Amino acid sequence: MAGTGSLQVQYQDITVRLINPKRLKYLDWALLLAVAALACVGWVVLYSASKSSSLEYFQRQIFYFAAGLGLALFLACLDQRFLVSLAPVGYVLLIIALLGVLFFGSEAKGSERWLSLGFIRFQPSEFAKLGMVYFLAWYLNKLGPRIQKWYWFLFTFVLAGIPMVLILKQPNLGTAACLGPITVGMLFVAGCRVRHLLALALIGLAGLGFLAWEMAGFDPNVEQEPRTFFDLKHYQKKRIYAFLHPEADPQGSGWHTLQSVVTVGSGRLTGKGWMQGTQTRLNYLPEYHTDFIFSLLAEEFGFVGAVITLALYLAFLQLGLRVARDSVDMSGALLAAGVVAMLGFHIFTNIGITLGLLPVTGLPLPFLSYGGSFYMTTMAGVGVLLGVSAWSRLARATMAVALTGIVARPGNGKP
Amino acid sequence: MTRIPREESYRYSGLETRVVWFSGAVTLAIALLMLQLWRLQVLQGAEYARVSENNRISQKRLQADRGMILDRNGNLLADNRASSDIVFIPGECPEPQREKVCQLLGSLLNVSTESLINRMHALRGQPFTQITVKSDIAKADRVRVEELGAQLPGVMIVAHPQRRYHYGETAGQILGYLGEINRAELESRQSEGYYPGDWIGKDGLERYYESELRGQDGFMLVTRYAAGQPQLLTDKLGRPYIAARDTLGHLLNLEAPPVPPQPGKTLHLTLDIALQRYCEELLGSRSGAIVVLDADTGEVLAMASRPGYDPAVFVTRGRNEERMALLSGQRPNPMTHRAFREIYPPGSVFKVLMAAAALETGVITERTSFFCPGRFTLKQGGRAWRCWKRSGHGATNVIDALAYSCDVFFYNVGLQLDIDQISKYGHLAGYGARTGIDLPGEAEGVLPDREWKARVNAGLAPSERRWYPGDTINLSIGQGSMATTPLQNAVMMACMINGGYRIRPHLWRDAPQEKSEKIFSDATLRVVIEGLKKCVEDGPPAPSGTGYAAYIPGMTVVGKTGSAQIMGLEHHEQYKSEEDIPEHMRDHAWFVAGVIDRAPRLAICILVEYGHHGSSAAAPLAKNIIDFFYNHRAEPSETADLLAEGD
Repeated sequence: MAGTGSLQVQYQDITVRLINPKRLKYLDWALLLAVAALACVGWVVLYSASKSSSLEYFQRQIFYFAAGLGLALFLACLDQRFLVSLAPVGYVLLIIALLGVLFFGSEAKGSERWLSLGFIRFQPSEFAKLGMVYFLAWYLNKLGPRIQKWYWFLFTFVLAGIPMVLILKQPNLGTAACLGPITVGMLFVAGCRVRHLLALALIGLAGLGFLAWEMAGFDPNVEQEPRTFFDLKHYQKKRIYAFLHPEADPQGSGWHTLQSVVTVGSGRLTGKGWMQGTQTRLNYLPEYHTDFIFSLLAEEFGFVGAVITLALYLAFLQLGLRVARDSVDMSGALLAAGVVAMLGFHIFTNIGITLGLLPVTGLPLPFLSYGGSFYMTTMAGVGVLLGVSAWSRLARATMAVALTGIVARPGNGKP
Repeated sequence: MTRIPREESYRYSGLETRVVWFSGAVTLAIALLMLQLWRLQVLQGAEYARVSENNRISQKRLQADRGMILDRNGNLLADNRASSDIVFIPGECPEPQREKVCQLLGSLLNVSTESLINRMHALRGQPFTQITVKSDIAKADRVRVEELGAQLPGVMIVAHPQRRYHYGETAGQILGYLGEINRAELESRQSEGYYPGDWIGKDGLERYYESELRGQDGFMLVTRYAAGQPQLLTDKLGRPYIAARDTLGHLLNLEAPPVPPQPGKTLHLTLDIALQRYCEELLGSRSGAIVVLDADTGEVLAMASRPGYDPAVFVTRGRNEERMALLSGQRPNPMTHRAFREIYPPGSVFKVLMAAAALETGVITERTSFFCPGRFTLKQGGRAWRCWKRSGHGATNVIDALAYSCDVFFYNVGLQLDIDQISKYGHLAGYGARTGIDLPGEAEGVLPDREWKARVNAGLAPSERRWYPGDTINLSIGQGSMATTPLQNAVMMACMINGGYRIRPHLWRDAPQEKSEKIFSDATLRVVIEGLKKCVEDGPPAPSGTGYAAYIPGMTVVGKTGSAQIMGLEHHEQYKSEEDIPEHMRDHAWFVAGVIDRAPRLAICILVEYGHHGSSAAAPLAKNIIDFFYNHRAEPSETADLLAEGD
């Protein structure tokens, strides 16, 4: 089946080549184009952001993209089903790493997120997102139709909850929250009962109620004992409070929300022009390289630029969902759905924060925010999408050849 | 719900529907974001653009120079000198040289190198903050630093104006002083553009004419960063400008042409500083006050008070102890100007007003005379009052009564006038109310009448609140509850010699002149002046006028002496001679005087605390003042010298 010298594995009843560069022939070019467009937007905006501090950010970001593209193409060549089969081991390793962070991690800005392994420092929580996508794909694929049973449905949350709690303990609210939509999105695509999801939504609403009780009468100047099982840190409560009352302390915690909204709003229809953003250039908006980069974009390119960017994101996510739809097997569909849920959550939450719709949590924006770790995660997600689609197209092509002798047009959906 | 086939490599048939729902949710979420963008950027964009613009621009104030104060002859009393600080801006100096510069500064200026380096390290995050190396430097320091300029990168000289008073204690209380604005002043004057740390007039003219003297601040609009403060530097001429970088090192751009500050108004006073100094020297170590008015205009030519203070104490760094001592309320209090803030019983000085009121109302005429046996007894009750001259003045008319200060004559006049008329003319002449001089904190004094007595004794028995003829008798010779400031007496005296008008005394040349309706007729004033002239001119042999010590041959000086009793005459008699009376129990000596045949016509009031007798303690001073003013006053030329001295 495969030429000698190439790495082969026995996967259930078939033998596959673990790495097959030929798959690159079946790349989803539309998806790649959307990624390239978003990356370009990212460079343009980051160049402007770096101009007032250090161009090093911009240069590094280009390097991250290049490295990320390599990673994505490498993942695209890998056999995704094989990776999925390794997921249970990955899950256990992930839990160990997260425990390691809890006990041996180093602090950064009041949160323990880094694990140092002598030569390399890394954030296990960053791997957790994609790791959980793979693990849930494995689990839901194994489960099959049993997912319609309520106890298997619930058990999914136990499995997802363990890393979630560990990440929350670090504390890293943003990443922990990211695991929620991944789980729900994959469950939905896996075919769970909708009424189970509705019940979950009700519980979520109740949780919101508890949160409201926790926050009731909160005074940012007084550290109080938690009232409910929510083990929220004082600074986290302050962020929620600041989101709800940005006017209460415009120089303090509410500063981010207020200045971000001012920054976005002052861009108006067509923006102040590239590298002409005053809010960011004069340091009114902190962290405009990373979490608030969308504000800079909206300030300099206005409503027009921001909407075009949002449209690009929408196109990217829809193309990702097309990969899920066109996947020849369930695990591929689940992987693609998981990646879309993860990146979609980041996009919605990050931009929602910059537009003052959501409280401030440290969540980066895919393709735009500066930062190596998350860029790698994003591009790895792109790689998963490319891999799933390439495999499906390859499979259809070979199936079509086998069945009819005619090469079907790749990506054309239905079997 | 669709059935799911067990084969794992197959997709269940419901997958596509689910993905479509998923994609719908994603579209909805992005649409929500677009909607919010529309709201923020298009609907509310203009408002946020305005907020952002306000964020962007910082207004830095350029403080105006305070106005100068000149006396009536153009002598400079108060102005501003440039006080220079040496500052070090580490950000302007290459990193490796910084410590060397600190060491050099330490040895050059005799300041602690160590503390300089420590402060520099403490401000590491804000390298463009100005570190003050030495404040208010001497010329020598400045020269040293300027000579070594090349070796001292980042070292600058920043000047700021400091108030300078050229005459020390002379007129110090009138000029007043400046101080840092306090919370209450800040709150009441916020709309006028005061900021914390500003200097504001605290007393005297500096306070009264604060708005005139202050000027109009200018400003510069520069880029504002979220953090980092724009800083001021000054050019060679001491004009402030904004440093190119703020404390954090951001480059600042000018957003609009600067609006230069408008210096405060120059205040030309009516004061004659040479006369003022002469008056203060005359008082010397005695506590007291001298007021010299232009009787026709109300211009204050001199208004001396001892003890006084040097306002420089308040505006010069490092004189805290002197400042605290001045403000400690010691006795006699140097902060209290005795001419308008302290009140004393007017004593016999009030007889001038009594005489004028009695003549004006027709109660007496020039020829009316009363017999003075040295004592006076009220018919009802039988209580007795004395004349200061125990042997009595015999039959006395109004001219002699003024000349020899006969008490009994005025007891009679008082009873005939009655309290209501005395009160009416007293108020018309300005007693019991502020004269309206352009200085803060003027005392009102007390002119008692029926209503006043009822008011201050409110709550006491009706008998305590009623006005008795005895009260009128006390008031007739300016005793009892009556209290006046020397300034009020000077205004009353001015009224007698200027044709019967009450004038408003003022110190600012351009202050509006105010003149009342004519209070006394010329006929009345002629008689009163006659008496006051006799008081000064009737020399030996005895009896001579009580004001003879003020007599100047060839000049028409009128006057009236007075003694403000601290205690009753009976107590005086416990002591064998006047010298035995303890200092603090002696009478205050009064003398009011006028010069009627020279221009300008002067009205003078002299008060010497515990001076015993107006005739011996106060009247000679009047003679000196008048002589100095008309005969010996040379145009002072010190100002030119002082200006030459200044750096």
